[in-house]
Amino acid sequence: MSERIVITSTGIISALGIGEEQHWHALANKKTGLKYPVHLTTRHASEFLLGEVDLSNDELAAMLDLPTGDNGYTRTTLLALVAMQELVNKTGLQLLQDEPLALVNANTVGGMCSVEDMYPDFISDKQDGSFIKYIDTLDCAESTLNIAQYFKIKPFTATISTACSSSANSIMLGSRLIQQGIVKRAVCGGCDALSRFTLNGFNSLKNVDKEASRPFDQTRFGLNLGEGAGYLLLENESDAVARGATIMAVLSGYSNTNDAYHPTAPSPDGDGALMTMQLALQKAKLSADDIDYVNAHGTATINNDASEGKALQRLFANRKPVFSSTKPFTGHTLAAAGSIEAIFSILAMQNQVSLPNLNYRTKMDELEIEPVTEAEQMNINHVLSNSFGFGGNNVSLVFSKP
Amino acid sequence: MEELKNTLKLQIIESLNLEGMKPGDIDDSAPLFGEGLGLDSIDSLELMVLLERNYGIKIEDAREGRKVLESVESMAAYIQEHRTV
Amino acid sequence: MKPVYISSIVVTSPQQHFEDDGFLQNVFGDDSGCLYVKEPNYRKYINPVAIRRMSKLLKMGISTGMNALERAGVQQPDAIITGTGRGSMVDMEAFLLSMIEMEEEALTPTSFIQSTYNSVNGWLALQTKSNGYNQTYVNRGASFELALFDAQMLLNETEEAQTALVGCFDEITPDYVRVKGKIGYWKEPAPANLELLQKADTPGTIAGEGAAFLTVTNNKENTLCSLLCIKMLQDATTDEVVHHANEILTENNISLADIDVLLCGMNGDVNQQEVYTTMIGKAVANTSIAAFKHLCGEYDTSSGFATWIAAKLFELQEIPEILTVKRGRHERIKNILIVNHYILNSTSLILLQAE
Repeated sequence: MSERIVITSTGIISALGIGEEQHWHALANKKTGLKYPVHLTTRHASEFLLGEVDLSNDELAAMLDLPTGDNGYTRTTLLALVAMQELVNKTGLQLLQDEPLALVNANTVGGMCSVEDMYPDFISDKQDGSFIKYIDTLDCAESTLNIAQYFKIKPFTATISTACSSSANSIMLGSRLIQQGIVKRAVCGGCDALSRFTLNGFNSLKNVDKEASRPFDQTRFGLNLGEGAGYLLLENESDAVARGATIMAVLSGYSNTNDAYHPTAPSPDGDGALMTMQLALQKAKLSADDIDYVNAHGTATINNDASEGKALQRLFANRKPVFSSTKPFTGHTLAAAGSIEAIFSILAMQNQVSLPNLNYRTKMDELEIEPVTEAEQMNINHVLSNSFGFGGNNVSLVFSKP
Repeated sequence: MEELKNTLKLQIIESLNLEGMKPGDIDDSAPLFGEGLGLDSIDSLELMVLLERNYGIKIEDAREGRKVLESVESMAAYIQEHRTV
Repeated sequence: MKPVYISSIVVTSPQQHFEDDGFLQNVFGDDSGCLYVKEPNYRKYINPVAIRRMSKLLKMGISTGMNALERAGVQQPDAIITGTGRGSMVDMEAFLLSMIEMEEEALTPTSFIQSTYNSVNGWLALQTKSNGYNQTYVNRGASFELALFDAQMLLNETEEAQTALVGCFDEITPDYVRVKGKIGYWKEPAPANLELLQKADTPGTIAGEGAAFLTVTNNKENTLCSLLCIKMLQDATTDEVVHHANEILTENNISLADIDVLLCGMNGDVNQQEVYTTMIGKAVANTSIAAFKHLCGEYDTSSGFATWIAAKLFELQEIPEILTVKRGRHERIKNILIVNHYILNSTSLILLQAE
C-alpha cells in the first residue's frame, strides 16, 4: 500500500496577482483579472479581453534580480521563475537542492512570446543582434531548464506538452515519480505566456470570446486566453510530517485518458470526460457522492461545456453537483491551467468556500445542472479538478482534506 | 454565377488540399459536410478563411458559418449577396 | 524498477524507413549537412480524408507508430507515450509566417492545430481508438528517454500484461537549419555525413531528422530485447556520467566486461566529444564501440534511432562495418549500453539486454 502524496507548498502568478493570498482575495470577492492587454503587442489589443499578468517583462526581471531589456529570458520563463520563487521562498532552497527532486514543468509554445517578434531576424541574413540570445528559446523545455539553472538545482527534469491538460499531467507524473521511489519530492506545474501566435491560433478556431467568457451559459461563445504559472510541491506524507511541513491537501486520485474522438473536439455526450473522472475517483477510492466541489475545465467553448456538462450530469446521477469554472477570473492559462486551478481547488478546500462561476446567467438547454455563482461557505472534503486538452488528452485530479 | 461556382470549386479544392479532384467532381447542391465530401469542422473553418481572403466576407460565428457552407450552391449565393471584393 | 520488453521497433530515417526489411543495406551519404528522411508510403496507415491536411512530421509519426503496432500484432495499445524536441516545425513556421504576413487577420487553423506538440498522439489514439494513458514530452535531448522511462514506470505500476506504444519524432526545415547555424550548431562547410566522425577535431555537427516507434510490454514472451534501465542527465560533468553508468551496470549485475557494444552518439563536434572519449577509454577489450549519428544526423530524439540500431544488432548478432568504431572480443551481443549526448547539454544512458 503506497503512502499518500501530499501538497506542502505552492507558487502562483496570474492576472489575479502573485501568491495564494492575492488569488484568494480575488476569487472570494469575484474580482476578475480579465482586461485589454497592455504588454502583449497585437493588433487585436482592443478587441479581446485577456488574462494578462499586470507586470511587464522588465518588471518581472527586476523581481528576480535579472538584467532588463533583451536579456535572453522569455516572458514564459520569467513567469515561471516568479511563481517558483514564491514556492522556494516558502519552502527553503536547501531542501530542494539537497534531496532527490523532480521538476516537472509544462507549457504549450515555449518562448514563442519572444520568438514571434524576432522571427524575421532569425530567418534573415543577419548574423548578429540581440535576437541571437533567443534562438534556443522556442522549445517547451527552455523554461524548465532555466528554472533549474536559476535556482541552482539539479533535479530529474521533465517538460510535458499536451495542450490544456499539460500541468495537470505534471502533477500526476510528479506523484508517480515519488511513489516509484525515483525522487523524494516533486515540484510540478506549468507556465504559459500570452503570444500573438496563441491568440491568433485560437481565434482562427473561432472559439475566442471578445467579451468576458460565460462558462456553462447558454449564450457562451468561447474562451478568453490568459497567462501565468503555477507550481505545487508534492511529497510523501511521512516526509512532510517528519520535517514539520504544513500539509495543504492530499492528492488522492488522478487519471489520464484519451477521448479518441477528434483532433480538437471532445465527444459530444461527454464520454471521454466521464471516463476520466470515473477513473480518477476509482484511483482515489471515492465515489461521486464523496465529491463536494468540482473545478471544471469550463473553457466556455460551445463544445467543451456541452461535453463536460453532460459528463458531470452523468457522473453525479444522484444529485446536482456543486461545480464551477474559474477561467473567467484568469482567462484560460493553457498549460498552466491545470496547476493554477489545482491550487484554486486546494484554496477552496482550505477555506471551505466554493469558487464562483463568473458571468453566468442562463442555463444551457441541454443541461439540468447549473454552476455555482457565489463564493459560499460549504463543507469541502474532496475536490475534483478537470483539465481537457487538444488531441483528446483528458486529466482529472482529486484533492482531499489532509 | 456559373463562373463563380467554378472558381469557388477550384478554391475549395486548393484550400482543402482535395488532391486529384476537379470542379466537375463536386456537385453544386451536394452536401459538403457529413456525407458528400465528408468534410469536418476544421475544414469549415478553412472555408470561412477562404471567404474572408477571397471575397472579403468575415464570419465570426462558426455555427452561422456552417449554414452558409452547406453546399457550393449556398456558398455561391452567400458570396453574391455579401462580397466586398 | 523491473525491466520491460521491446516487442517491435521501427524507424523512418535518412537511411531507411519501416517498409525496408533489410538493415543498412544501401547506406545513404551526401555532403549537404542535412539528412532528410526517406519517406514511406504514408497512405497505407492514414485515411485519405485526414492525410490531405497533414504535414510531414504528423504523417511520419503516425505511420511509423502504426507500423510498430502492426509488427507487434497490437491493435489497441494501453498507452501512447511520445517525445519530440521541436514538434512540427513546418506547421509552426507556416502559421507564424502567415500571421506575420497577413498581419493577424484571416488565418487558417490547420497549421496551428498541427503545431501542438501532442497532435501525433491525438491521431494515434484516434486511429487505434485507444483511450489509455497518453503523454507527450518536449524536453530537448531527453524527450525520447522520458517517453521510454514513463512507459517503463507505467508497466511497473500494473499487474496486468500491458503494451505501451512509445515513440519519438523530429524534423528539420531549411529555416531551422539556417537559424541554428547562427549559433554554431553546424560544421562549416558541411562534411559528407559518412566522414563525420573523422572530422571530430572541429566544432559543429550535421542536421538530421527521423521518427522511431516501439511497442514496450511487461510480458516477456516473444520479445526482441529487454530495456533494463534509462538514465537522463542534464548539465552533467563527464565524471557524473561515468558514475551513473557504473551505477546502472552494478544495479543490473553487469560488469564492464559484460558490455558487448557501447553505442555512442558521437556527432563529430569537438566540443561534445569528451564524454565519449572518456567512456570509450574506460571500455575493456571485450567491448565493441559503435556509432550512429553519421547515419541519422543530430537531432533531439536521435536516441530513438540508436535504440533501433541496438535492437537490430541483437537480432543479427553482428555489427555492420558502417557502424563500427572498434571491434571487441565479445562472442555474442547480449548487453548494449547506449550513451548519447545532445547539444543542449543532456546526456542519456540506455541499457538493453537480449537473451
